[in-house]
Amino acid sequence: MRLLLFCLCVLLAPVPALAGDLVMTVRDGAGRPVPNVVVMVRPAAGVPAGPIRFPWPYTVAQQNIQFDPFVLVVPVGATVGFPNKDKVRHHVYSFSAGNKFELKLFGKDETRSVVFKAVGVAAIGCNIHDAMVGFIRVVDTPWAIKTGADGVATLRGVPAGAATVTVWHPYLRAPKNEVVRKSVFTATGALRESVAIELRAAAPMAGMAH
Amino acid sequence: MRGGGRFTSLRSRLTVLYAGLFGVALLVTAVAVYASVSANARIQVEQQLTAGGAVFDRVWALKASQLTDSATVLSRDFGFRAAVATNDTPTVESALENLRGRLKIDRAILVGADGVVTGTTGLTETGASELWYALDGGATSGVLTIAGKPYQAVAAPVMAPHLTGWVVFAERLDQSELTALEKLAAIPLSAAVLTHAGDGWSGPGATDRDRRPLSQMVDGAISSTSTRPHAVRGATGEAIALVKPLATFSKERTVLVLRYPLALALAPYRSLMLVLALTGLAGLAVLAVGSWLLARSITRPVSALDEAAHRLQRGEDASVEITTADEIGRLAASFNAMAAGIRDREGRITRMALTDQETGLPNRLALEQALATASGPDLWVAALTVDRFPQVRAAVGYQLAGEMLRELGDRVLTLRPDAVCARLSSERLGLLLPAADADAAGRQVEALLDALAQPVTAGGVTIDIGLTAGLATVVDSHDVPPVERASAALDQARASQRRVAVFDAAAYGDPASKLSMMSEMLDALTDGSISLNYQPKHDIRAGRITGVEALIRWNHPERGFVRPDLFVELAEETGHIRALTRWTLERAIADQAALRAGGHDLMVSVNLSGRLVADEDFADEVIGLVASADCRLCLEITETAVIGSPLLALQIIDRYRAAGLSVSIDDYGSGLSSLAYLKQIQADELKIDKEFVLSLGASARDALLVRSTIDLAHSLGLKIVAEGVETAEALAILSGMGCDLAQGYFIARPMPLSALTDFLEATPAVAKAPAKRRA
Repeated sequence: MRLLLFCLCVLLAPVPALAGDLVMTVRDGAGRPVPNVVVMVRPAAGVPAGPIRFPWPYTVAQQNIQFDPFVLVVPVGATVGFPNKDKVRHHVYSFSAGNKFELKLFGKDETRSVVFKAVGVAAIGCNIHDAMVGFIRVVDTPWAIKTGADGVATLRGVPAGAATVTVWHPYLRAPKNEVVRKSVFTATGALRESVAIELRAAAPMAGMAH
Repeated sequence: MRGGGRFTSLRSRLTVLYAGLFGVALLVTAVAVYASVSANARIQVEQQLTAGGAVFDRVWALKASQLTDSATVLSRDFGFRAAVATNDTPTVESALENLRGRLKIDRAILVGADGVVTGTTGLTETGASELWYALDGGATSGVLTIAGKPYQAVAAPVMAPHLTGWVVFAERLDQSELTALEKLAAIPLSAAVLTHAGDGWSGPGATDRDRRPLSQMVDGAISSTSTRPHAVRGATGEAIALVKPLATFSKERTVLVLRYPLALALAPYRSLMLVLALTGLAGLAVLAVGSWLLARSITRPVSALDEAAHRLQRGEDASVEITTADEIGRLAASFNAMAAGIRDREGRITRMALTDQETGLPNRLALEQALATASGPDLWVAALTVDRFPQVRAAVGYQLAGEMLRELGDRVLTLRPDAVCARLSSERLGLLLPAADADAAGRQVEALLDALAQPVTAGGVTIDIGLTAGLATVVDSHDVPPVERASAALDQARASQRRVAVFDAAAYGDPASKLSMMSEMLDALTDGSISLNYQPKHDIRAGRITGVEALIRWNHPERGFVRPDLFVELAEETGHIRALTRWTLERAIADQAALRAGGHDLMVSVNLSGRLVADEDFADEVIGLVASADCRLCLEITETAVIGSPLLALQIIDRYRAAGLSVSIDDYGSGLSSLAYLKQIQADELKIDKEFVLSLGASARDALLVRSTIDLAHSLGLKIVAEGVETAEALAILSGMGCDLAQGYFIARPMPLSALTDFLEATPAVAKAPAKRRA
């Protein structure tokens, strides 16, 4: 099944000359797959100019007094919508450097949006509901994706050659909550890598809804 | 107390025994009470400490909760969070300082998730790092050590919205805090927060002196799984301590030590113990005194009995006062009865000992006792006797003789009430009377004798009595006691036919010296100082010496020549004559054998004492002696000796003759010479007493007597020996008279054996000598 999917992916991939894939599996110390891990690849040769687009919506909804999704990957300069699907009002904010914002008390079915101009991490919270925590990873590379429930993140079309692979999770127990690796991608075929990470327990007041 | 040998008094023994037992019981009780109280106090202290520990936990939690609340208020503040998240350090610092001032918190700091510390901390870099790790590890409450001083600290995370840092509020854990905690406890415990430094546990509330034992105790408590209190010995004595480990924000371990001195725990019991001890001591004292009194009440009568027994032993009055009706009282009564009985018997015995049973007069012992107590220079002892008392007694009987003496005693006492009169012996009365001198005493006794010499009527018989008395002064240098001297004086009076005689020491001699002479004589028999001399007997017809008379001689080494009549008489009186005679016979036999060996065959005559003539045992001895020896002996016996027991003496003389011994009648003519006995004695020889021979030449009557005696002897078949031949004339007359043998100085003096041998050699025929003289 996985092979079939892989074949399908290969077939469906755009066709930059001489590119390969990265299949990153992230597990914790106990060997369990870790979701919501952002895997980013930055080729040594640099990223191509031009706008970056990801196939997922750039929204962080508030639903059931939680941010959904918990982790969102957006390209730098993206406008992220914050629709409120709860009956209560929220006061979403972020103090993260460069992406500081505050969306004061907006009600049900209201959507506010914020432009994330700085590459990095924007930790978002709700001033009313302490338990609400979410993260928006603002990237400047087209090769970025977060792991699914199976802990696997697949990136296609990474140019051959040396590249920096960054694995990030808001609670990853490492400086800047990330693990950085150097990898060399080949022209064809998938580079299969796996990384074991350890997560810090969620802060007492940060409700872990994921 | 075992054996009781160390106590000489029953009283102290009982006292010590009772007091000792009570003391031991008291001690055991005291120890038990102390142990119980001590254990109880310890348990109470442990319970209190445990309770105190629980209180501390509550207080600690409450305070932590208050601090946490404050910290949380700050950490949740949106503005504060914004300031923290945007690294707005001045704002953060002002916010911290503001809250610190408002809440009066000692320290308010912010530790960033990145490790950056904001606020006035005083934390070192290491301290800050340790704090971050602790916070990162999830610590929210515990002890934070800043600059070596402990603080109670809490942490509240700053979520912006993810963990951006921690607000840390810290309150100083100083002595006042601990004191406040101490005040909350039910017991006055002391609290101390100790931090483990490199070399042990230290902190406020723990003095340097306590440090070592405290450290050891804390180490022990931490390593032990038990949460119970532990004992610790500190500067102020033993204490019970509870150790509670405290959560910390640093690597340094911190503990809370709650201590309570055991002495304080025991303090409430101290008065109880004191009362107990005082009560015990008072009880001990009361018991000791009581025991002593009891023992004394028991032992006082016993001591009295003891003393009385000693008095009884000494012969003093020994009655005891009876104070009780118990066993001891009965014992005292028995003792008194016994003592009285002993006194009575003693008195009776004494009276008996001092009384003559026959007459009821005091006896000699009583007189001597009176003498001993009443001696003085003017005291005299008189001994009285009734003349011819044996004859009188034979006439009237012993009983009347005794009554006669008693009558005399009564008369003496009537006449002289001041005198002591006693019966000295069966026939003598003794009298102790005062007199200035011998004459006065003599006159008094004369007067007394006159007064006493009235006829005595005893048993209806009137007896005429004459009295003789001897006198001796009590004080005299003479060794012989006064009573004896008085008796001797009585003997002297009788001997000298006087009515009264005063003791004459010169005439009395010395009996002690006489006795010693006898023992010396026995020694002399063996050491050679007693020897035999021989006086030759001249056979007138044969003209030669045919026999000798053995005469005993004693040349005393100190006394010189001792007269034979003196010691022989003494030997007769003391019974030593037997040994002396036997020695003489043995010596004579030996000497005769020696003479015979020298060619001289002589008859040896030995004098046999009158005392031995009728002695059958001695006769057996002599006969045995003669039978075993080749001898020719003649025993010279006086006729007087036979008179005492003629039948036996004559029979023994016959036995002697049958045994081959010659018998000579000695000293014939002097003393009691009886023709009747002369007829009966189967003798071989008759010796005319020298009284007659010495005056032979001068007295015609003597010559006549000698001649007729010679004729008488010859006619009876007896040889005749003349003693005391001192002149040639006497020898010639005797020769003419037909005398057989002559003995005397004219023939030869007595001489030792050696001289005799020489004499016999020199003059083989003595007969020639007178012939020569005659010529």
